[in-house]
Amino acid sequence: MARETTTDERALVSRARAGDRSAFEELVRRHADRLYAVVVRLCADSSEAEEVVQEAFLRAWRGIDRFESRSRFFTWLYRIGVNEAKRRAERRPAGGTVGSIEDEPIDGAPDWSEAPEPRAEQEELHRALERAVRALPPDHRAALVLRDIEGLTTHEAAEVMELSQAALKSRLHRARLAVRRALDERYLEERR
Amino acid sequence: MIRGVLARRRYMREHRWTHAHLSEYLDGELADGERRRVEAHTSICPQCTRVLATLRRTLERLRMLSADRPPGLAEGVIERLRQEPAG
Repeated sequence: MARETTTDERALVSRARAGDRSAFEELVRRHADRLYAVVVRLCADSSEAEEVVQEAFLRAWRGIDRFESRSRFFTWLYRIGVNEAKRRAERRPAGGTVGSIEDEPIDGAPDWSEAPEPRAEQEELHRALERAVRALPPDHRAALVLRDIEGLTTHEAAEVMELSQAALKSRLHRARLAVRRALDERYLEERR
Repeated sequence: MIRGVLARRRYMREHRWTHAHLSEYLDGELADGERRRVEAHTSICPQCTRVLATLRRTLERLRMLSADRPPGLAEGVIERLRQEPAG
């Protein structure tokens, strides 16, 4: 991504703040797909994720005056999107979406770090990974999606989630260990 | 006997510390001394060695995940924005 706050992007933000709609539309074109990739894993399904993206940009446009240009536009935008996705998740009836963290290694699980992955098994492995990510509690899931799937730095992910870097790292580590453990279970199952 | 108990305690302390810092180790976010501490423990602890290796592999796989983006997403947002009054 042009994740760097380029002069170009600063100029777009500045023009948008002055009411230039075409500048804001350019920001939408630059960030919509990536914002979607973040929130789709926090939402119930793809249509909710599209609504969240739309809502996030509407709020950003309405509140562009409140954007503090010392932070980056995309971290501000992601924060709006992640908060909106979490707000909707909280409104959903409990069950299936709350998630839990089981992150301790399983005794006797094989070391699958060098296990071959035939092409036929890769799709199944991706599905197992997606299930493991979805099983995480929302805050842990958000940390992992931002940092490990979307590739934000620790600093950027912490800024999006309004956490200290230490708190972000703690959630991220537990989330990673829980996904790792889910793969332990998968390989154990495969062995049986 | 006492020496054995102390050694065991030290091992467990290092085990817990290492387990809690494996992500930072993989992210290159530990200071030199801390990195050496992880490496010293993983060199003698089969469980931490396995967790570290499989955690590394887990991260490689997570980075390969991608989401299918709906076509025309940005244009749909822009269309909706155009119904809004000026910001």
